[in-house]
Amino acid sequence: MFTFFLSMFLLIFPLTYNRKEKRKFIINEGERRFDLMNLSMSSVESLVAQIHGLSSNIGELTQLRNYLKQCDDLLRTESTRLAPLLTELDPSVHSLGYLYILEACTSAPISKDQANKLVLSVARFINVCAAEQIRLAPEKFISICKRLMLQVMLLEDPMRGVAPLLTSIRKLQSSTEQLTTLHPDFMLLCLLSKCYKIGLSVLEDDIFEVDLPRDLFLYCYYGGMICIGQKQFRKALELLHNVVTAPMPIISAIAVEAYKKYILVSLIHLGQFATSFPKYTSSAAQRNLKNFSQSYLELVNSYSTGKVSEVEKCVEIYKDTFGSDNNLGLVKQVVSSMYKRNIQRLTQTYLTLSLQDIANTVQLNSPKEAEMHVLQMIQEGDIYATINQKDGMVRFLEDPEQYKTCEMIERLDFSIQRIMRLSKKLTTMNEVMSCDPSYLGKVHIQLGRSGKDLIMMIFIPFLLNSPYEERRN
Amino acid sequence: MDFSALNEALAFKSYDKVAGICDTLMFLAASEGVSYQQDWPYAIHLIGHIYVNDINSARFLWKKIPLAVKESQPEVSAAWKIGQRLWIKDYASVHEAIREFIWSPQCQGIMAAFSEMYTKRMFELLQSAYSTISIQDTALFLGMSEEDATNYVLQHGWTVDPASRMLTVKKQAVVTKQKLDHSKLQRLTEYVFHLEH
Repeated sequence: MFTFFLSMFLLIFPLTYNRKEKRKFIINEGERRFDLMNLSMSSVESLVAQIHGLSSNIGELTQLRNYLKQCDDLLRTESTRLAPLLTELDPSVHSLGYLYILEACTSAPISKDQANKLVLSVARFINVCAAEQIRLAPEKFISICKRLMLQVMLLEDPMRGVAPLLTSIRKLQSSTEQLTTLHPDFMLLCLLSKCYKIGLSVLEDDIFEVDLPRDLFLYCYYGGMICIGQKQFRKALELLHNVVTAPMPIISAIAVEAYKKYILVSLIHLGQFATSFPKYTSSAAQRNLKNFSQSYLELVNSYSTGKVSEVEKCVEIYKDTFGSDNNLGLVKQVVSSMYKRNIQRLTQTYLTLSLQDIANTVQLNSPKEAEMHVLQMIQEGDIYATINQKDGMVRFLEDPEQYKTCEMIERLDFSIQRIMRLSKKLTTMNEVMSCDPSYLGKVHIQLGRSGKDLIMMIFIPFLLNSPYEERRN
Repeated sequence: MDFSALNEALAFKSYDKVAGICDTLMFLAASEGVSYQQDWPYAIHLIGHIYVNDINSARFLWKKIPLAVKESQPEVSAAWKIGQRLWIKDYASVHEAIREFIWSPQCQGIMAAFSEMYTKRMFELLQSAYSTISIQDTALFLGMSEEDATNYVLQHGWTVDPASRMLTVKKQAVVTKQKLDHSKLQRLTEYVFHLEH
């Protein structure tokens, strides 16, 4: 009996001992800085005092962040009474504290009148806040940005959110290579408010870091639409390509819509569409995308005949589908790109051709119309030619670029450097992957316990893309 | 709204900056929740986009303008008319759209500069695209009378055949810089090094 009690005691003792230790620790912390137990509205002053006292350097700010994290529940329950506190803080100096209180203040549902005020206060905060402070609490910052986004949509004034969201992306990013969850929201606001040009400024950055796949899908889809609006078809194609070929376990509506636009932009920009997918496309995409875009693939078929009348016939048949997909404008651009494509094809066969012959071959009504098409294409650099009005002839020329001007060398230089940066990035990623336990685990299972093969597998990522690979071959 | 940056750009004839300044001001006004639509200098803003040949942005701006403004300010519609002609690539009728409206003092400067630049742009297009062209068409493209157009191109070395009323274009020899400096060689070395390692 006694031994039983003793063993019980021994079992319980370490637990109680630990608990005591822990409590003691908390109290110690509390004595030094604050007392959590006593924090209530009466100590709101202490909250403000803490923010005032702990906003000058990174060490203090981390301390403040931990403190605010612990106060989170309290901030939430007291949210309606916090607004006056904001006047006691300077948003540019006490950004972190201001952010926590602002986030709590704006968490309650609000009326339309209040929405105006909320948007204004969040927008002003985004404008003046210190980037290094808000990055300590990214989830709170994202939360107020999302609220701003929601409210400008409810107010039906998406343009109000454009500049604040651009600023918040720049402040939240640690580098321009990082895709934040605010990127797709910003793109959507640009589209809704018809401010396409400002969207391009963000799309110029090359993205390498992504947290949530959904963000990337939406960012590339909306970004593609912005580029289409600005007629930057090459860039649009690149973005839509990313959506279609990105890894996806199941098919999504975003991927389907992106694929439809991808087909149309490809026809406009390249004059053709390859129905086969690149090797790295997910099997979900390869299996399903075509089933959802039959009418678009029909359009590709009719386009490949090279006859405007065929394409127009096809558009007529599927007009409703294209219309309900909001792609009719793009489809019309596909039709008009045909003339261009056909004229371009002529340059491969003929050195000189009469305007009348051009009009006949590409199904234009008059030589004058053909002349205007050729003129436009010369202006846009699509073809090299001179028009001789006297004889009614067009002479097709070779591309005059000789690739030896300083300007061209600058361009080549720029491209080489970009590729070099990319190749370095790939090498680093390969190295990281080779050290990744889950990768090694998988390789280990696949190969059994044969040590030599395992080592080979580890080195494969290093060997790929390296000059040694080529030399061996 | 503080339009001093815009006024300054107009005063110093930095017309290429006008669109950018207007865009920034508009975003600022929007984010502050100011209702700016009624007093916004839409005409200048539109012409600013057109001046830098950004017809896409001009078109989207036009779509954003409230109907009431479009109806009450004829200058805004007149400015868009130019954009519209450029959008459909009706080169000759752009001149007409510029001439048929009496622009307000604020727009006159930028409009005159645009008109001059557009004529020059058209001349360069004709020079690059044609070997021979009729006097009549040249006049249309340049927005001048046939006599003025003939004189204008003759100054640039073109020749005229009075019998057929055709002009023969003289191509300008393009001078491009081809000399390279040592830094390029240095770069090339770096590239080879990169490929080797």
